[in-house]
Amino acid sequence: MNIPNSSTAPTAGEYAGDEVSAIVLDPGYSTTRAGFAGEDVPKSVCPSFYGQSDSDSYLFGENAIHSPVGNLNTKNYWGSDGIVEDWDAATKLWEYSITSRLTGARAGDPAKNGLNDDPRANGESMDVEMEGVENNEKPMEDSPLLVTEPGWNSAKAREKYIEIAMEDWGVPAFFLQKTGVLAAFASGKASGIIIDVGASHTSVTPVLDGMVLRKGVQKSPLAGNFVSQQIRQTFKTASPEIPLTPHYLVKSKTQVDAGAPANATYKTFPVAPSASFRLNEEERVLTEFKESVVEVWPGPGRFTNGTNEEIAKSAPGRPFEMPDGWNNIFGSERFRVAEGLFDASAALTSEANPRPKDEWTIPRLVQAAVQHVDADQRPLLLANIVVTGGSTLLHKFNDRLNFEINAIYPSTRNKLIAPGSVVERKYAAWIGGSILASLGSFHQLWISRKEYEEHGASIVEKRCR
Amino acid sequence: MPPFKDDQIIVIAPGSETTLAQLGLPESFTPARVRIRSRMFPAEKGGEFEPYKIRRRQDKPVEKPAEQDGEAQGEAKPATAGDDDIIWEEDRISEEGAIWPIQDGKITDWPCFFALISHVYNTLNPPFHTAILLITQPSWTPREHEKLTQFFFEKFKTPAFGLMDAALATTWAYGVHTATIVDVGKGKTDITAVSEFIPHVQGRIISLSGSGGEAFTETLHFKLKSKGFNRDICEQLKKSPICEILPEGTPLPGSGKADEEVITNPAAAASTGAVSSGPAAAAAVGNAPRGPGPDTEVGEEDGGENEGVLDVASIVAGGKMNEYLAKKEKEKQDKTNAKKKGAPVPDANKPVRLPNSKREKATFLYEDHALLDALKNTNLDTQGMADAKAALDEGPTKKASEGENSEAAEANGTGEAASATSRSGHIRREMEVGTERFLAGSNGTLEKIADAIHRAISSVDEVNKRSELWDSLIICGNGSRLRGFKEALLQTLQSKYLISPSSATIFTSEIPSNISTPAGTGANTPQPQLGPHGGSGVNPLLFAATTAQSQNLMPHGSNPLMPGLSHNAHSSHGQTPTSIKTVKPPEYFPEWKDVGFDESAFLGAQVAAKVIFVVDQGQSKGYMTRPDYNDQGPQGIHDYSL
Repeated sequence: MNIPNSSTAPTAGEYAGDEVSAIVLDPGYSTTRAGFAGEDVPKSVCPSFYGQSDSDSYLFGENAIHSPVGNLNTKNYWGSDGIVEDWDAATKLWEYSITSRLTGARAGDPAKNGLNDDPRANGESMDVEMEGVENNEKPMEDSPLLVTEPGWNSAKAREKYIEIAMEDWGVPAFFLQKTGVLAAFASGKASGIIIDVGASHTSVTPVLDGMVLRKGVQKSPLAGNFVSQQIRQTFKTASPEIPLTPHYLVKSKTQVDAGAPANATYKTFPVAPSASFRLNEEERVLTEFKESVVEVWPGPGRFTNGTNEEIAKSAPGRPFEMPDGWNNIFGSERFRVAEGLFDASAALTSEANPRPKDEWTIPRLVQAAVQHVDADQRPLLLANIVVTGGSTLLHKFNDRLNFEINAIYPSTRNKLIAPGSVVERKYAAWIGGSILASLGSFHQLWISRKEYEEHGASIVEKRCR
Repeated sequence: MPPFKDDQIIVIAPGSETTLAQLGLPESFTPARVRIRSRMFPAEKGGEFEPYKIRRRQDKPVEKPAEQDGEAQGEAKPATAGDDDIIWEEDRISEEGAIWPIQDGKITDWPCFFALISHVYNTLNPPFHTAILLITQPSWTPREHEKLTQFFFEKFKTPAFGLMDAALATTWAYGVHTATIVDVGKGKTDITAVSEFIPHVQGRIISLSGSGGEAFTETLHFKLKSKGFNRDICEQLKKSPICEILPEGTPLPGSGKADEEVITNPAAAASTGAVSSGPAAAAAVGNAPRGPGPDTEVGEEDGGENEGVLDVASIVAGGKMNEYLAKKEKEKQDKTNAKKKGAPVPDANKPVRLPNSKREKATFLYEDHALLDALKNTNLDTQGMADAKAALDEGPTKKASEGENSEAAEANGTGEAASATSRSGHIRREMEVGTERFLAGSNGTLEKIADAIHRAISSVDEVNKRSELWDSLIICGNGSRLRGFKEALLQTLQSKYLISPSSATIFTSEIPSNISTPAGTGANTPQPQLGPHGGSGVNPLLFAATTAQSQNLMPHGSNPLMPGLSHNAHSSHGQTPTSIKTVKPPEYFPEWKDVGFDESAFLGAQVAAKVIFVVDQGQSKGYMTRPDYNDQGPQGIHDYSL
């Protein structure tokens, strides 16, 4: 029902008569979010992982990547530096996320909507008959598009974004904005420090009056995936080793005693799914583990300090059951796996995973970011610390962050702004984009198709700062 | 004064297989009055569609019969023939060359879909001032909603129009605010977690392909191909009451033993095992044993005969029909003779009748569409046609079976009961199948759906909602009508995903090492240990134990409509699910009870239509009015739809 409450979108009249129905696209390492501007949640959230079979065809979407099929490699289009690496896949996946849930495929046969085309063949044929069929090939020609980018995006990558939008999708107008700024907007702030702990990267972005201080942007690979890796290592080094069996391998499980070996029936496959598929499915189990077991040591002090570890040991453990029925209770280990985010020396290491650098930890990132800001602006920033990203949902994460920041910058004015609702925390950048793109006054900022045609892709450097 | 009266409301629920519609809301909500197969036939003119197949009938036998298939005839221009002997007739049964505009829930052919909706609208023939509520499939995008809005306002000039999500409609039907809707359709399954009447868009499983009713047919077809069963036969086998999914671990009749390695939850097996329990079985009880129906003639035919008979259509097409009919006649005679000898009173139920799951073989009646099409293509005159039909029809004593079959059809969702004429044309033949009929779900379909349910619920962001969502599954959709499917799905979920209370939390293994075993005097009994954040001051062991099991201890379902009764009120959260249950269907819809709640989305839509159009007099903005549309255009629909 449409009784207005805090979470309903404003009515048409309230935001300067927005009639453009812009699309906001917020690609992340774990999921790619897309939706219409002016709405409060992205309508389309699809995994950034995709399947690629031997025959080079792409498979997108939740349903496709979770079905155990042989010869299917699960991949991600992001590079290890937090910049899009595989542009072909990225373009297709973004297009899928928009057309599958928002606009619908263009009328007509699926052979023409670009999703099923071989990239090379498509490019060639387009050159030949550009004029005649152009309109049928472009999926988004009536929606302006706002795309988010990480704060450290390269100039080349930024030009690539606008090229995809203008050339491949035929959008009428385009804009590129940094996730940090948008996350701040989502919390109603124009200035602040944005701590974004995602899946692949943690970033700290100082924002002043809606502008990112580029020098101050800090990033590190200690984020959700790092915690997963720590959990894996905990499992591996436990004695006896804790088996990590994803759901798809298990046919049925039976109850066993805590710590006892699993007693389950397993499935067999004619063609075993690939290792990358298994890795992605294991991640599902680890996510569940993070949600229900892992806890950040809330302070005071670090986990390894003094008697803290002893206290943690005597705290009640949390039980966890694996898909194959193995279960046990986790005591102090559950604090340990997330400690590396704050204290590099506490991270579990192995040969493949050396000790993370000290300056990668979240407190040091914040410190480095604040260092780049004029001294008189620092209190303003520290009074607006916006916490966002899916990995900040780890239990007690904010308590610890609060403690760490107060330890570096003792003040009573430091303030963490962490939206209580999970949706707002996870999709803050998208929500900010949704707000921005639906503002009447934003319309003059769009880069129109005409401007693009006049100035070329480099216009994005001038206009989107 | 409400803006609309009860009888001025149309509810339409398009589906991949069947489109449901109704004009007017009755006092007590009934299943949809109009059921139309969701398909149209291309008309002579490109881009136009006809609701029935148009076939050229010729009263004179022509020179080149048989080879011409229906499509070729449809394309033939009347101008070229130009003779008087060509008459176009509507063929209400054949589905040859049909276009199904909705595939896997998605609208793939918009002109055809619009034609279908127009046909539905014309069938209802509503008066001018009629509001329309349309059920939307989850896979329809917002842009498509706008397109639909535009179509309805501009084509039908409707005064008010509303959209309602199918999953949401189902929760309305059940009268619950939080539930996981598993909608098993024709070619796909949609899984939606709805909490507090809001469907979770993120992580919603939309159109999980290859997991609907079609998948079962495919599996049956795959298993039975070697025996000469074609797809159509398998489809009908699936709908017949003898096809079912047995609970895991139940031995197939004849094989004598269960799969040894299968470990079943005895409790689950007990609750699902009995074939004679559960609504599906109850519905079937009325159909199966009455009269000399299919189920009562066990094993009187031998399989060898069937194999020869199966391809009657090609015999007929090949022009050897008369020979075949003679043979058939003889067989019939033999059979009746045998029957007379064997069972003197065929009408009485046999005293000892094994339940379906125990029998190795069973028979069902099959309506041979291909044969009928072939017959029509041979261009017999009306009389010859009727004779041939009568001769080929194996259905027991036509009149009696007519009633029975249409009843069975209702219960099993063939959806063809729309018009009486369409039924009388069928040619029924008797088929026998072995244990393959229990293997419809053997293709991993159940596991696929179960995994998708787990994903859908796991992606719900409010962690404390998840256990409630697991406790309120609603399995609906006509694909789930297959007997035993719901029970089997529940069992799969339970055996794979249920988290059992960990033995570690029951005070045995987790007594901290710094505490010695309690002495008899009670001196060493563990005292509450407070960590710095230990919280509420309870014994930590007790805390751990209750965190893991609180869901089990809490009474469920006592008042599902009471909001705020969160089962998992801890700040931290445990793993889910610790229990998996389905929601009981509502009991106050007597008309729905008989047919089952598989189409409950339609029921929910009626409830919603009553509420938004009539009861709250347009206050809730649940629909868009004509002036609204004129002001805001199609985009405005997003502010109004439920």
